[in-house]
Order: sequence, then C-alpha cells, then structure tokens
Amino acid sequence: MLRHFTTRLLSRSIKFRPFSTNVAAASAADDAFVKAWRSTIPNLEPPKTPLSFMQPRPPAPSTLPSKLTVNLVLPYSSEFSNKEVDMVIIPATNGQMGILPGHVSTIAELKPGLLSVHEENGVKKYFVSGGFAFIHANSFADIIAVEAVPIDQLDSASAQKGLAEFTLKLSSASTDLERAEAQIGVDVYSAINSALSG
Amino acid sequence: MASNAAVPFWRAAGMTYITYSNLCANLVRNCLKEPRRTEALTREKVHFSVSKWVDGKPEKPTIRSDTPEE
Amino acid sequence: MAMAALRREGRRFATPLMSANPANTLRSSLLPSEEQAILGVRSISTQVVRNRMRSVRNIQKITKAMKMVAASKLRAIQTRTENSRGLWQPFTALLGDLPSVDVKKTVVVTVSSDKGLCGGINSTSVKISRALHKLNSGPEKEAKYVVLGEKAKAQLVRDSKKHIELSMTELQKNPLNYTQVSVLADDILKNVEFDALRLVFNKFHSVVSFMPTTATVLSPEVVEREAESGGKLGDLDLYEIEGAETKGEVLQNLAEFQFSCVLFNAVLENACSEQGARMSAMDSSSRNAGEMLDRLTLAYNRTRQASITTELIEIISGASALTG
Repeated sequence: MLRHFTTRLLSRSIKFRPFSTNVAAASAADDAFVKAWRSTIPNLEPPKTPLSFMQPRPPAPSTLPSKLTVNLVLPYSSEFSNKEVDMVIIPATNGQMGILPGHVSTIAELKPGLLSVHEENGVKKYFVSGGFAFIHANSFADIIAVEAVPIDQLDSASAQKGLAEFTLKLSSASTDLERAEAQIGVDVYSAINSALSG
Repeated sequence: MASNAAVPFWRAAGMTYITYSNLCANLVRNCLKEPRRTEALTREKVHFSVSKWVDGKPEKPTIRSDTPEE
Repeated sequence: MAMAALRREGRRFATPLMSANPANTLRSSLLPSEEQAILGVRSISTQVVRNRMRSVRNIQKITKAMKMVAASKLRAIQTRTENSRGLWQPFTALLGDLPSVDVKKTVVVTVSSDKGLCGGINSTSVKISRALHKLNSGPEKEAKYVVLGEKAKAQLVRDSKKHIELSMTELQKNPLNYTQVSVLADDILKNVEFDALRLVFNKFHSVVSFMPTTATVLSPEVVEREAESGGKLGDLDLYEIEGAETKGEVLQNLAEFQFSCVLFNAVLENACSEQGARMSAMDSSSRNAGEMLDRLTLAYNRTRQASITTELIEIISGASALTG
C-alpha cells in the first residue's frame, strides 16, 4: 500500500517543484545506500532508515490552502500532530512571527517566548523555552521545542522572583559563563513575565 | 536581545545550543505551578558514566549525575 | 540481581550432572542399568531427578518474574517512545535522510543495552555498526565508534578497540529523559570530530519484532556543502533563514539540536526493543523450563513406579518361595 502511495507521489511530484519533504527524491538516496551496502556486506540485510518510517507528506498544492497544518512536538509528547489551524505566531529570535497558510518556506530559531495557535474556536497560548520551527512550502509547520507549557500553568510569582534573582546574579557575575547563565535567566524570566502580563 | 555580535552570547561563553536550550527549558520548568513543577523536575534527571578511549584503552570513567551517589 | 540468581541456579543444577556420574543422569534414571542397581544407586537416581526438578522449577520462577518485570518496564517505556516519535520527523522532513552521503570522518554511534538476557538486539546493533564502519572507512576516510551501553562495548572491544572513541554506560539508572540524552549528546559532540554521525539502534516494532535502523546526522558544513552542490539537499537553499546573523550559525544550532533529538528517540526505541526482546526471551525460557519439568516429572514417576514394581515382585516371589 505504501509503495502505491510512493509511486503516486512520484508521478505527481514531477509536476511540482521537488521538496525535501517528498519521498521521491529521498528514496533515490536510499537506493544508493542499499546498493553500496549490498556490494560491501552481502550477507547482512541493510538497516532501515528513518525515512521509511515517515508518513509521506503531500507536495505543495497549486492553490493556496485555507489551513495551516501544524505539528508541535516535545520530547515527551506531541502536543499537535497534523492539526489544521488558521494561524500560529511563533517567538522567532528576531521577534514574534505570524505564520499563515502559504507562508514562504522558512527555518526559524525560537527564543523563549509566547507561541499562540489560532484555531477556529479560540486561541491556545503556550510558553516555549526554545527550539526550532520549520515552515514548508506545502503549508506544513513543524515546531520543535524542548519545553512548551500552556500559559495558565505558569506561576507569575516565581517568575518575578526568578527575574530579580538573576538580575542580581548578572551584576555580580565574574566569569563569561556565569554572566551568560545569568543573562539566559534574565531573558527567560522577563519573557515569562511579559507573556503572563500580556 | 542582549547581543548583536555574530555569535550569540551563550556560544561566546562556551555553551552549545544543547546546553543553552536545556538551561532555558529548565528555567521554564522551575516556573511551573505545583504539582507540575515537581513532576517535570523529577522527570528530567541526568545520570550516566562516560569514558574516553585512547589507543584502544578506556580511560577512567567520569560520572555525570545530578543525583548524589548513594 | 535476578541474573545472578539465575547463574547460581544454573551452577547448582550443573554440578550433580557433572560430578555424580559421567553418564547422563537423566537417561540413567530412565533406564537403571544392571551395575547401578547392584551398587544401590537406584534410590539416588530418583534423588538426582528430584533435585534437578527443583532447580528447573526455581529457574522457571525466576524467568517468569523477569518476564513480568520486563513487561511492566516495557509498558512504561513504550508510551514514552511513542510520544518521542514526533521529534525526529520534522528534521527528516527538512534535511532528508542521506545514509549514502560520502564524507571523510564518520562516527558510528552504536546504541545498546547495559544488561543482557535480551535476545539478539545487541549483537544486531554491533553487526550493523561493524558493517557501517567497513562501508565508511577507506584510504581517505576514517570511521570511529561511540558506544552506548555495556553490551556493545564488550563485543566491539574484541576486534575494533582501536577505533572506539567514547563509551557511555549507566544510562538507564533513572527513567530515560530528554535532558539526560541531550547532555550525553553534548558530550559526544564535544569529544569527537565528525562529518557525519550514524546512529545505529533497534527500532521497536512490536514485542516480538524490532528493526535495526540507522539514522544519519550531518555536520553543518556537510549540510551546507550538499545544499550548495544542489544534490539531495538542494531544496534547503529555498528556505529562508530567520533568527541569526549567518546561515552557518543556524545550521550549527540546527545540527546540534537534530542530533540530540534523534539520539533521544534512538535511545528510547532501543530501550523499548530491549525490554520487548527480554520479555519474549524470558517467556520462551519459562515455557522451555515448563516442558523440561514435564519430562523430568515423567521420568521421575516412571523410575519410582519401576522400583515399586520390582520391590513388589521381590516380596511376592519371596513369599511364594516360602509357601511353595
């Protein structure tokens, strides 16, 4: 069944610009690997590669889709998986960035800050600690974060306390490393404070 | 941002992205409301032992752990 | 602990076999031979079988307990593994999957377990790692190992200890978590030079099956090289880069983050396969012990019945000799 799907993708993707998300380009890479493997190590099956476990993703549609497909993944859970939403706002290092369907493909580094997901029935707000967001041309957005928590689970009192603590540490830091650690503390806690107040 | 140099301040101080993102995540975890805070902090415990090999022989292993040895 | 007990049990039932009689005690108890009967060994042979039955029963108890432990550990770790599966997919979607990439410095990261009695998962990882090593070393190229877990280390030390760069153990003292694996990934990145990292692990499929898998993580320089040469990563140039001054910097951060995420999933998948394999190994050895016990019980009962019959015949013939 999967093979059918791949061949279908293969035939379709010829019409469109090939993307790194599509299976056709990458399965060719696999072939070279399998070939090299078989010639060097004939009596052992070649191992699988992650791509063979991936769900193939659709190529970029020719018309602008009305929804953005979002994956928000954390190490210990997948908050969203293939969820269709109207818009997400991600905390890129250069400032908040809104992503609508049809956004140009982008790799964005995330800083600690507010991530809001706009669905039909309301807005979900998360605080992310950092990570990456990939926006693909087929209106898929992958957001990978080390930690993301719903904003209502954060405690504003301890955030304020933390900010004060780290501001003090920043002024007393003697080495580069200590200063950087204190700076990170200040950055994170002020981001939490502004997210909670905003 | 604090720094506009070509290298972010944390890398200039000798951190890698992994260290940086872990520090950030840990600070966020510290800010959670109870009981989630304890839950999240107990989940993320580090313990392993690592040894470098020189000329086919392992050197003395170092333990990386944030729980005290019992 | 359970394994030590098992070993002790094994020794206990092995000794009477070796010391008592060079002949197979099981068979000799089935067919008590002439001279044994003369020496009065018959009663001892039932004793030997009884001892053996006891030790087999004890082994069965242990393997059953280990199976239960593995099953409950598997349940806990399986949820975490399934939750972590989303983590590597975005990276593969973006950077593709290039097991065939040709680079100078390859580091094979072999993921294995610290403990044994889990079927063939560790030797599978080692075999695949050796093959990848062979595939990626040559006159201009070199390959090194980074070994996670005692078992793969023990196997690789035998023939390729010169190529081992780092070894890491005691991963599973606490339940596996991202912080732990990322600190570990960080240690690997700081201590080895690489153009490509190839992770070898067993992907969990079901309790009875796992799939040897290799995931490839490229260094930022190689990613850039591949993207510029317009090969399989040519599409990467179509992406706009947000967040940092230079592209190299983002790629650097991205490669580090990718490695820790992929390694996290790999370690979890392998731990999950380990528990699954241990569970099925312990299940089959409990079943095996059960069958052995049945055979022994049969042999024991037969011998006992035979001796009772002989005694009866002796009594009856003695009595008839007196009356007759």
